[in-house]
Amino acid sequence: MPDPQPPQQAARIAEQDEADLVARAAAGDRAAFGTLVQRYAGVARRVARAVLGNPEDSDDAAQDAMLSALVKLEQYDRRRPFGPWLLRIVANAATDRRRRRTVRRAEPLDPGFVAGGPRPDTTAERRALAERLREALAELPERRRMAVVLFDVEGYSHGEIAEILGIPEGTVRSEVFHARRRLRALLADWREDE
Amino acid sequence: MKDLMPFDHRPDSVLGEALRRALDPDDGDAGTSAFVARVLARVADARPPSWDHVLARWARAGVAAAILVALAAGYLTGRAGVAAPAVRPTMTDVLLSPPAHPREVEIVLASVIDNQ
Repeated sequence: MPDPQPPQQAARIAEQDEADLVARAAAGDRAAFGTLVQRYAGVARRVARAVLGNPEDSDDAAQDAMLSALVKLEQYDRRRPFGPWLLRIVANAATDRRRRRTVRRAEPLDPGFVAGGPRPDTTAERRALAERLREALAELPERRRMAVVLFDVEGYSHGEIAEILGIPEGTVRSEVFHARRRLRALLADWREDE
Repeated sequence: MKDLMPFDHRPDSVLGEALRRALDPDDGDAGTSAFVARVLARVADARPPSWDHVLARWARAGVAAAILVALAAGYLTGRAGVAAPAVRPTMTDVLLSPPAHPREVEIVLASVIDNQ
């Protein structure tokens, strides 16, 4: 699903525009806040899903994070980019929710998927690959999951991810490296099976 | 897909696209719009009440507190009246009890003796 305004593009939006939206939202302008929510809905939902797996839980966490961000808007340093600040709240909300909820274990890998089972059409094939990737992601440590999603999906820099996750930049590089190794191996197996 | 390099600073578009498809909800643009609508609805629900609602709430709390205080004061006053009946001391009690101001008694006795 294409975002109305993917984060990569959002990052390119003039800072003044975003700072203006934030200022208006902080002053109680709900339309401005709505624009910010619209702009970051996609990335927030994906990051939450990378942590939680379950789409409903992920949406709840992303919503909680958006409301929390609105409350904390006064604390936001407007000289800094808004995206990483918001995503840190999203990541924390998702992590908190995961800790609170009853642990729902991912279903075990379908042996048919692992062995590259029959795929009747492209749509089914994509769904199967997506399922395998989600399961592979679920096996990664949480921080590694978020790091690779923020880097390869959302296009944030190592420095920005370090800010979002609250870890050193070198650790982010390491996390992305290890996550990619696992996920690329999975993708390569998938392609060989095709 | 790129070869794995320890210091690969560029996003991997193939892996990124595959992950995006895996993580994107299946509900499309309608899902995004619904998500935004839910967030804004929750914002509206969480909006602070208007000043008259706040005053009304305070007034209700104030009236309740005043009633409680009045009841407590009435109870204590009534209880004090019942619990402390006036007991008149007998002559024996007065004579046997130690004087409240011994020095004054001595002065009075001394003046009586002097007068005699």
